Amino acid sequence: MNKRLPVLLLTAPSMIILLGVFLLPMLLMFLLSFENAQESFSFENYLLFVQDPFYVEILWRTIRVSLWTVLTTLVLAFPVAMYMAQATGKMRGIITMLILAPHLISVVIRNFGWVVVLGEGGWINQMLLSLGIIDEPLRLLYNELGVVIGLTDSFIAYMVLAIATSLYAIDPSLSKAASILGASRVRTFFTVTLPLCVPGIFAGVTLVFSLSMSAFVTPALMGGTSVKVLPVIAYEQIMSTLNWPLGAALAFLLLGSTILLVSAFTKIVETKRYKEVFAS
Amino acid sequence: MKKINILAVITWIVLILVNLPFLVIIPSSFTAAGFLSFPPEGFSWQWYTMILERPEFIDSLIFSLELAAVTAVLATILGTLAAMALHRYKFRGSGIINSLLLSPLTVPSLIIGISALLFFTKIGIAGTFTGLLLAHALISIPYVVRLVLTGLSTFDYTLEKAGFMLGANPLRVFWDITLPLLRPAIVSGMIFSFLTSFDNVTVSLFLVAPDTTTLPLAIFSYMQETLDPLVASISTVVILLSLVFIILLEKVYGLERLFGLNSQSH
Repeated sequence: MNKRLPVLLLTAPSMIILLGVFLLPMLLMFLLSFENAQESFSFENYLLFVQDPFYVEILWRTIRVSLWTVLTTLVLAFPVAMYMAQATGKMRGIITMLILAPHLISVVIRNFGWVVVLGEGGWINQMLLSLGIIDEPLRLLYNELGVVIGLTDSFIAYMVLAIATSLYAIDPSLSKAASILGASRVRTFFTVTLPLCVPGIFAGVTLVFSLSMSAFVTPALMGGTSVKVLPVIAYEQIMSTLNWPLGAALAFLLLGSTILLVSAFTKIVETKRYKEVFAS
Repeated sequence: MKKINILAVITWIVLILVNLPFLVIIPSSFTAAGFLSFPPEGFSWQWYTMILERPEFIDSLIFSLELAAVTAVLATILGTLAAMALHRYKFRGSGIINSLLLSPLTVPSLIIGISALLFFTKIGIAGTFTGLLLAHALISIPYVVRLVLTGLSTFDYTLEKAGFMLGANPLRVFWDITLPLLRPAIVSGMIFSFLTSFDNVTVSLFLVAPDTTTLPLAIFSYMQETLDPLVASISTVVILLSLVFIILLEKVYGLERLFGLNSQSH
């Protein structure tokens, strides 16, 4: 008892903020999401998802954009993480700094930079036009491509860190042993390095997927009005249409479907690994 | 040897790409033209003097700095106290308090923003400094708790005991022994909280009012209407300000260490 008292006292201010600004409001939001236009309890807002093809399409678009983001971050981050694992301490520090520093600058500003680069009169289009490679400006912005580029830029650091951390942990003598036993570089990579960094890839994939699913700023700025993902629709319901129950329900549906997809993915990966273990 | 070179090439391309927004924004803020272009045309400070004529940016910059500073102090004090208590006194249930304190990191900012708006509207602090402060403190405290807990994991309690034996009172021991030893963790927690608040968009979005707008949101709403070099010049100011804090963070704690802690959540 005399142990609990100081803890309760010292954690109380933080816990009050946690309860008052987070747990209680979330509970209220959850209850509100079951309210219909007549202010009585109903599943209307949630059923909309099954009945209205508009919302199904929005959810599918959100998932699609997130999956593309996972794929591009994975493809780009893997070589970076491999290089970091091989690099000397000083070089590793420089790369870490250059990949993490942008992360601490507002996403609004990073997106703005991309708008300048990718826009119709932007740098890339100007260059391609003046070189005569294209006749008309390419549409690189205000479509799903633009959103995926923006999200990839936002979340690649998480993927790099997740994979790099698992690569750092691999005992270098394992690759050495493989090459002494006559395995080629490619073979060593596929039979030693890759299987050992699966947990890192897995962590990166689930993290980037969850972050992409709930991203709001980048889809709003780089997708424009044509690529409305679920967070943008939820925002509109809350702030423009002022249908708070529906907005709350949409936000929880987003969270629910993210958790569902991530745990399904976890299940598949685990089952596959068990099979591998028992097969060998 | 060839394979390493390919990796190096891809790595540098990625590093250039993630820094490309800044490499484009900073030069184009000095354009002499009346429209946004890259590469910029000519050189002028006109878009910087333009900032001074836009009270919405000046006001929101000052508001953001104040909010970030107060958030940093509040989150650091509360988070440090909580972390120290949790580390020193372990009992059944302290693990629950620990994971509760870290839980805001696992919920999307969108939900935190919406739920705060709903509740703050009920109690009448939506759109106020207090509302924003509480919400920003909520998302900053977990980082402070984590950083200070990590700092404490190598903390040597015998130093405190020695202080007591030599006759120092508890306050003196805390001030002269505990605090200096935890300084890197506490200071980086404070800088990180400052940046978390200063950069935040998704939570602030739901809690601002016309006269209480943060700078990232002022830029966000301006960008949805017009895209001109003014966005570039105000962004450059923010980039340089953030850079000061990022360099500080790197010197005090090291970004690698900092993100090693954070990579599993958001």
